[in-house]
Amino acid sequence: MYGTLDISTSGMVAQRTRLDVISANIANKGTLLDAQGQYSPYRRRIAYFAAGNPNAASRGGQALGVHVAEIGQDQSPLTLKYAPNSPYADEAGYIRQPNVDTTTEQIDAMEAVRAYEANVAAAEATKQMLAQSLRLIT
Amino acid sequence: MLLDSILSSGALPSLERSIRFAAGRQKLIAHNIANISTPNFQQKDVAPEDFQAWLSEAIQSLRKHTGGMHGPLRTQQTRQFRTLRNGTLELDPQSPAGGVLAHDRNNRDLEQLMQDMTENLGAYRLATDLMRSQMDILRVSITQRV
Repeated sequence: MYGTLDISTSGMVAQRTRLDVISANIANKGTLLDAQGQYSPYRRRIAYFAAGNPNAASRGGQALGVHVAEIGQDQSPLTLKYAPNSPYADEAGYIRQPNVDTTTEQIDAMEAVRAYEANVAAAEATKQMLAQSLRLIT
Repeated sequence: MLLDSILSSGALPSLERSIRFAAGRQKLIAHNIANISTPNFQQKDVAPEDFQAWLSEAIQSLRKHTGGMHGPLRTQQTRQFRTLRNGTLELDPQSPAGGVLAHDRNNRDLEQLMQDMTENLGAYRLATDLMRSQMDILRVSITQRV
């Protein structure tokens, strides 16, 4: 039964990571420079999930649960904006902007929160079962 | 041993199997919920009907041989349900066919999962409550004797 809680926890951890990624995307919606100060517009990040939990203690537990396999970059084209006065504008006067769409991120965030809640509900049920079996010995 | 024969007769063995099954199924349901947004994931489950058929077969054969109250409950080792030496019930989960595939090739069905989870919790509660009352009877008979 304790392994069951691990499974729900792995789900919560994965969904929280996804929400972290979404927050980072929204926060970097207008980021044009990288950490070194070079012109390199931010690309939207995506958390990719995979079944199984490599961090589980037991070998049986590793088959169950979920984990974030990779945080990849969205390779879709960056959006262009006409800003001829910007120091980063190209010859035609356009700057490339991050390919972050706030609406998409909002919807993704909602989905992540609901999935997180589903995991919490599963953990609650498991807790009830645990309490129930503990009552056997009293 | 006296205690052994008390604990392995009557309803207790089948209650124990039910509890083990519900615990194992809860694991699968939690796994399905954790993977609610994993691409290419197919849900896994063991059918409770199959478990009931498996258990009732063992109970029927016990009834035929000893009248049902005495002797150990002998369950068959099938592909779906196997009892290991330490008493663990090993389940062989299947991916049920059907269900609508989402765009990420995941056949999630959250409502069905939640319903299964509630049902499973109810089955677990029923089995543990029945087991508790069996234990209470045992306790009463012990205290009356001393």
